[in-house]
Amino acid sequence: MRSIVYYVREFLRPEWLKKFFSVKTAPLTTPAYFKGYPTLTDKECTHCLTCMMICPAPGAIAVLRHKEQWAPEIYPGHCIRCGLCVEACPEGVLTSGRILDVTSRDKTAFSSWYRLEVDDNLCMRCGNCCVSCPVNREIDPQLAGTGTSASDEVIMRIEGGRVTILHEEKCTGCKTCETNCPNRAIRVARMVEGVQGGEAEA
Amino acid sequence: MKKTVDVSIPLGPVHPCWKEPVRLKCETAGERVIRAEVELGYMKKGIERIMRGRPWQEVMFLAERVCGICSVVHNMVFIEAMEEISAIAVPPRAAYLRVIVNELDRMASHILANFSYCYTIEHETLAMYLLNTREIVLDNLERITGSRINTAYMIPGGVRFDLLPEDAAAMLADLVKVEDEMKRHVRIFETGPLIALRSKGIGVMSREEAIRSHTVGPTARASGVEESDLRLRHPTYRELGFTQITRTEGDNFARVMLRFDEVFQSIDLIRKCVETLPEGPIRGGGLCKAGETSYAGEAPRGELTYTIKTDDFGRVLDIAIRTPSIMNIEACAHSMIVDAASIADVTSTFISSDPCIACNER
Amino acid sequence: MRNILQEIKNFVRSRSIHVSYVDVGSCNGCDIEVLACLAPRYDIEQYGIYVHNNPREADVLLVIGSVTPQWVDKLREIWDKIPEPKAAVAIGNCPISGCVYARRGTLTTPPVENYIPIAASVPGCPPRPTEILNAILSVAPIIFKDYEEKQP
Repeated sequence: MRSIVYYVREFLRPEWLKKFFSVKTAPLTTPAYFKGYPTLTDKECTHCLTCMMICPAPGAIAVLRHKEQWAPEIYPGHCIRCGLCVEACPEGVLTSGRILDVTSRDKTAFSSWYRLEVDDNLCMRCGNCCVSCPVNREIDPQLAGTGTSASDEVIMRIEGGRVTILHEEKCTGCKTCETNCPNRAIRVARMVEGVQGGEAEA
Repeated sequence: MKKTVDVSIPLGPVHPCWKEPVRLKCETAGERVIRAEVELGYMKKGIERIMRGRPWQEVMFLAERVCGICSVVHNMVFIEAMEEISAIAVPPRAAYLRVIVNELDRMASHILANFSYCYTIEHETLAMYLLNTREIVLDNLERITGSRINTAYMIPGGVRFDLLPEDAAAMLADLVKVEDEMKRHVRIFETGPLIALRSKGIGVMSREEAIRSHTVGPTARASGVEESDLRLRHPTYRELGFTQITRTEGDNFARVMLRFDEVFQSIDLIRKCVETLPEGPIRGGGLCKAGETSYAGEAPRGELTYTIKTDDFGRVLDIAIRTPSIMNIEACAHSMIVDAASIADVTSTFISSDPCIACNER
Repeated sequence: MRNILQEIKNFVRSRSIHVSYVDVGSCNGCDIEVLACLAPRYDIEQYGIYVHNNPREADVLLVIGSVTPQWVDKLREIWDKIPEPKAAVAIGNCPISGCVYARRGTLTTPPVENYIPIAASVPGCPPRPTEILNAILSVAPIIFKDYEEKQP
């Protein structure tokens, strides 16, 4: 009986009632080190597309043109917030959490190359890859519909009825050739290496 | 003698105790379970098919998303398999950082598994305590890697971010807090008479049954299978002087207590790592090359194997993943649940083997 | 009279939201972030949200994951079992776009909007518990307030 009285008195205290009905947990803040969606800094984008090429999620990032200025755009429904684009960007256009500070202090970076590979058994010698390549078109605007070119500076051209790759290092990894190939004969391989201190082995 | 089956009770796929869809068919005579069968296939996404023909920087994220609870270890085993193929050496500091992150993830996973068990036996108080402790562990994971789950921390030849001294100090302070809280929770669990009634002597799997059904991880170790922890063969863990914990009872209580013990062991490992953390670079670089290998590591649920074949440019040509839960689930259905005295024990026994359906079906 | 009744209903519904979650093929990450909302640090129950796993008692269905072949027909069945008024919230990237699974060779068929109506979505892989909490709290008044008066 005494315990019942004790509990009734305990629970009728105004402080207890007030606490019971109104107290909430403290408002939560997202910590500064959380990798959120990448946001733009004031650096200028050079349209090198490294961010798009390293992005592991389909359709998460696109570099778009806004009045003579390129800028990457992040799509929240697709972005997985891994922060690879922030780390890979050579200019520091994007920032997310404290990745940018940490990478600049530790001098960590990703260096990437592109390797082109043509499967001669599948290739139909149509020349679509040479014509569609945006780098090729810039170097040699006269690139013929058959993919032959007089210039030695193009990435690839049709020589003697087959695709010859001349300058692999000029490839920007846009994969336009891969999408335009009717037979999936040409493949662009992205090779990425995590490096520290600026040195990289090719 | 012909078995008489009264009712065939389906549990799942959407069931209050299951976190993921799985169907468990129990054939019962009265309250006694005669036979149980696991029906999988609700989560098959075809991750191995998506992985083929992709470079490591994409496969790494797919490997992480095989399982969200133990994502760090999937990342670690995949990256270490790629390193074995391409003969990439890891800087010692990066190897120690990997162990720290892996052990934090293991702690989070084990605490979550014990939360699920306590929630299933309706000890909600302890379950909520455990879940709150897990938040502290996740805070530390977030401080190092930048995200709570699916951290994307390891890359071939190193790790992505360094451990700052002030973060290490904050982590050690948090570990003291976690250890104190976990000691209290273990005392609640060990001495609770009602928990003992629901756990001790229920879902017993003997050592012979455990070996015959190829169980791995905490489930095997709780039944007394020696040398079943693959961390014993990992070079960094050997440097740290890792020893395996084994219990012999093989019931639900032993499985949960073994996970509690491993949490304390992980805390000790992290402390040892931070003490002896070598100076130096965190990334060594190195390109992925062609080759074929099969590499196994210890996930929170047991042995995890990646069999990978790559081409000259480091793209994955063929990949096969063998996850721990598939053996544990089958062992659970065939050895633990069978002859359970009550259908009410089926859910708790199933959860005590820590099934991860997303791992299983990929 | 009717207004008072409606007011009472509005008040009760704003303080009592039952949530059921269904995993239609995700990586588990969003699953455990929904569970983490239960933790006393986030304490989803102080807002009157109770996490169930029973569709028949639920008001809000949290859909997690890109849709696997097994769930194509079953997801609609679960949605039909929820009593009115009801709302579905897509948690994570998977129900919105398929996340990293939406590639060649996949068995999943995202997005979830093809199967059930989605009231709100929380992007992220996985979203933080606070983001999930805010989404549930923001969708609830829109769906449940003056539900009877909105009916034709």
